[in-house]
Amino acid sequence: MITSKNITKYFGSFQALKDVSFQINKGEIVGFLGQNGAGKTTLMRILTSYLPASSGSMMIDGQDIIRNSLSIRKKIGYLPETPPLYIDMTVRDYLKFAAEIKDVPRHRLNLQVDKVLEECELAAVKAKTIRTLSKGYKQRVGIAQAIIHEPRLLILDEPTNGLDPIQNLQVRKLIKNLKDERTVILSTHILSEIEQIAKRVLIIRSGQIIVDDDLDVILGKNQKDPSKRLSLEEFFVKCHIKNGDVDE
Amino acid sequence: MNKMMAVAKRELSAYFKSPIAYIVSILTISIFNIFFYMIIDQNKEVALKDVFQVMEFMFIFLVPLLTMGIFAQEKASGTMEFLMTAPLSNTAIVMGKYLGALIFFSSLVAMTFVYYGIVEYFGTPDRMTILTGYLGVWLEGAFFLALGMLTSCWTRNQILAAMTSYVVLFLLYFSINFLKYFSGASEVMIRALGTGSHLENLAAGIITVSDLVYYLSGILFCLFLTRLSIENRLWR
Repeated sequence: MITSKNITKYFGSFQALKDVSFQINKGEIVGFLGQNGAGKTTLMRILTSYLPASSGSMMIDGQDIIRNSLSIRKKIGYLPETPPLYIDMTVRDYLKFAAEIKDVPRHRLNLQVDKVLEECELAAVKAKTIRTLSKGYKQRVGIAQAIIHEPRLLILDEPTNGLDPIQNLQVRKLIKNLKDERTVILSTHILSEIEQIAKRVLIIRSGQIIVDDDLDVILGKNQKDPSKRLSLEEFFVKCHIKNGDVDE
Repeated sequence: MNKMMAVAKRELSAYFKSPIAYIVSILTISIFNIFFYMIIDQNKEVALKDVFQVMEFMFIFLVPLLTMGIFAQEKASGTMEFLMTAPLSNTAIVMGKYLGALIFFSSLVAMTFVYYGIVEYFGTPDRMTILTGYLGVWLEGAFFLALGMLTSCWTRNQILAAMTSYVVLFLLYFSINFLKYFSGASEVMIRALGTGSHLENLAAGIITVSDLVYYLSGILFCLFLTRLSIENRLWR
């Protein structure tokens, strides 16, 4: 579904991504892991065609994301790090607007909004102004706008960032329910979240992919010797020790 | 087209959900009413020519207040990323937003139609002159809106966007006063670019192709530059 070939991105003289190559198949749930400033958000923005790469190519379903930007965007649902909300609108009006600009057919507009309100457990607050909602609800509205047009690819940039444990649990449950029909790319700092949701992990360090493997392999689940099994946190720290980012 | 209208509707509703729309509307109408009374009282004639001149001058101050947030606010709140990653062309975004602002502005101008009703009631005004005057005021406002929207997409700071609009609009409006310091090609250029003489013609009932071309090309040029500016992220 996604093929990234030698993606490099410069911001002025700063190189944010260096020759990033990977392939993600249809239906995969992939977690992007990395420290702050590692390049996760930049990579996601390139995937959504919000930012162009300085060099390299990114294809989705065999189409170049810049040349076929509009048709690619129909296939993508994107939740940026800060949910992009019009806080003066009610939840329902906002989702209706999102549906209108994301090509949901006119005759299905209200049905689709109701479906997503239900799916994201937002029905109780549908008439409320977004400004008045809690952070957890706002995050769910952000996810709702991302799935309103039933995209086949869902890109979620730190979807549980800044939420309290209960809100965190609710949003995580919502993402788990969403993943069944879609390819999902998720970036987060919360490693347990990746362990619960993702099947594959890409660790990005200073703009480069240093690990791209199945979660089970990373965690050593096939190891007969239990002492050789690792938690994702242990593995993540180990990767950064190896690269000199953390003292042993 | 539907998506463009959705953006326009959103833009229009945003005006009515923010206090700025009400402040600008009340301020505009109050100031216009005062000047209308003063002009009619002083001139003792059933014409709106001088009222249109006042409207033009006031729009320099009022339009940037309407346009400053159009893109700057979207950038500051992160919703620009939402628009730019939706299957929505840049043209639809720019035209939708412009249309929303233009509808709001047109409703402000429409509120002053009562002046025509008053002069019509008390005398026999030259209807054609009033009609062309309104056309001139509307075109000029539409041009100012396009210019304000352009400056709004250069920054995420609304105040900076408004200030830049003021500078550009002041230059366009007052440039005609400095003509005596220029000669030759620069004088011709300043005369052509300044807003002054164009509305004067329309307010006097004279419709010339050059005036219409001035406003329409100005609007299109600003909209084109706005589109180009939001695409600018693709070159960085």
